[in-house]
Amino acid sequence: MSRENEYRSVRHGAALSRMDHVGLLRLRGDDAIDAVDAVCSSDLWVRDGRMLQSLILDERGQPVADVYVCPDDEACILMVEGITTDEFAACLARHADPGLEIELEDLRPEHELLSLHGPYAWEVLSRWLTPDIIGLPYLSFYHFDRGICFRAGKTGEYGYDLVMRSEDAEDARRELLELVRSVGGAEVSLGTLDLCALENGFFSVRHGSVEGLTPLELQLQWRVSARKRFPGVAAIEERRAGGVSRRLTYFVARDEVKTGDLLRGPDAPVGEVMTAAFSPGVGGVVGTALLDISVAHPGIDEFFVPDRDSATAIRTVSSPLLLNRSLVVDPRRHTYATREDATHPPLWQGSLP
Amino acid sequence: MTPDLSDYVASRVALLNRVRLILRDTMKLQVEPEAIDPDAPLFGTGLGMDSVDAVELVVQLDAVFGLELIGSPYASTTIRTVNTIVDAIMEASGES
Repeated sequence: MSRENEYRSVRHGAALSRMDHVGLLRLRGDDAIDAVDAVCSSDLWVRDGRMLQSLILDERGQPVADVYVCPDDEACILMVEGITTDEFAACLARHADPGLEIELEDLRPEHELLSLHGPYAWEVLSRWLTPDIIGLPYLSFYHFDRGICFRAGKTGEYGYDLVMRSEDAEDARRELLELVRSVGGAEVSLGTLDLCALENGFFSVRHGSVEGLTPLELQLQWRVSARKRFPGVAAIEERRAGGVSRRLTYFVARDEVKTGDLLRGPDAPVGEVMTAAFSPGVGGVVGTALLDISVAHPGIDEFFVPDRDSATAIRTVSSPLLLNRSLVVDPRRHTYATREDATHPPLWQGSLP
Repeated sequence: MTPDLSDYVASRVALLNRVRLILRDTMKLQVEPEAIDPDAPLFGTGLGMDSVDAVELVVQLDAVFGLELIGSPYASTTIRTVNTIVDAIMEASGES
């Protein structure tokens, strides 16, 4: 299936995806949340049944993992992108108090993760699982007979992650795919989900290099505690004391712009493209650039990628770039079948340089 | 930096800092204003605002900037990040 069709599934219908790249872990024991607290950069103020997005940083303060922390009774479920289970275990061994009573369980051999995204993902899941699913708040989860349903997602649309036993996952995937197709959707690749995450300003460990960057440059300070010690905190304090000189900023462009391209302003270099991809919704390139802090703001048309023969202009923009359909689709009033009855504003309301 | 760009950035930074202060006070955040990233999501993830915070923020934006979002169908799409709020203020004042 083409990237454009996959994209349309996520942005206009529903999309199913296997999330084989996500580590699934469970920490058991009275001290489970204390152990996670020792390695994650956020304040873990999160109740049972709710989810919190956090980071694991290396000693230089660079993000190495993007983590959902999900306290679950006397355990804590973790969904981890960026490092392996063995690397997470090594991180725990290095930073958590060895006296803590914990047992780390890798759920992956016996479990799989399927995810649903899209303005009508709730409709698929309400037919497959229960109509009550539409009341599940964002960043919360509940157990059902075949697994756990998490309301999450990094596309700006309704999103659900289903952790299921492997013996149930194949049947579930087939059943869900049939329902997804009934709302004009399809199975989509990780590349399409990454594009949608980029358009909506979600951090991804796969969106370009973070070499030399900390949450201060990456606009992820909300995932960094101001109260506790955690791996990488000394580097962040040092960077903050010295002043942040660059900041990640979103942009759009009409023509091809590539990761690594250098950007110039009217009279000097201003930064570098960190990630860029063609967006069918925007009809041009969307991306992030690491810009000098003095000009790291949206609404600027004066930067360009210099070339020998011409120059490709970019326009800096605010994130999220899109007016997601999930913002206007209300599960209590709308359905996929009656979607034409509702007026939907365009996904992209800006213009290209 | 051209004079136009310099002026634009200066007014954008001034608004950015005022909105950060309003957010910090509205949500009683124990952080320096510059620790509120311009593109950090305000709801759900990010700053974790709820509907009560949103009402208070909308009232403050109206009082301070004359940004009329009360009852507006565009309120939820305007107050997604600090930057989207600053965009709306600049657009309303003809600065964008």
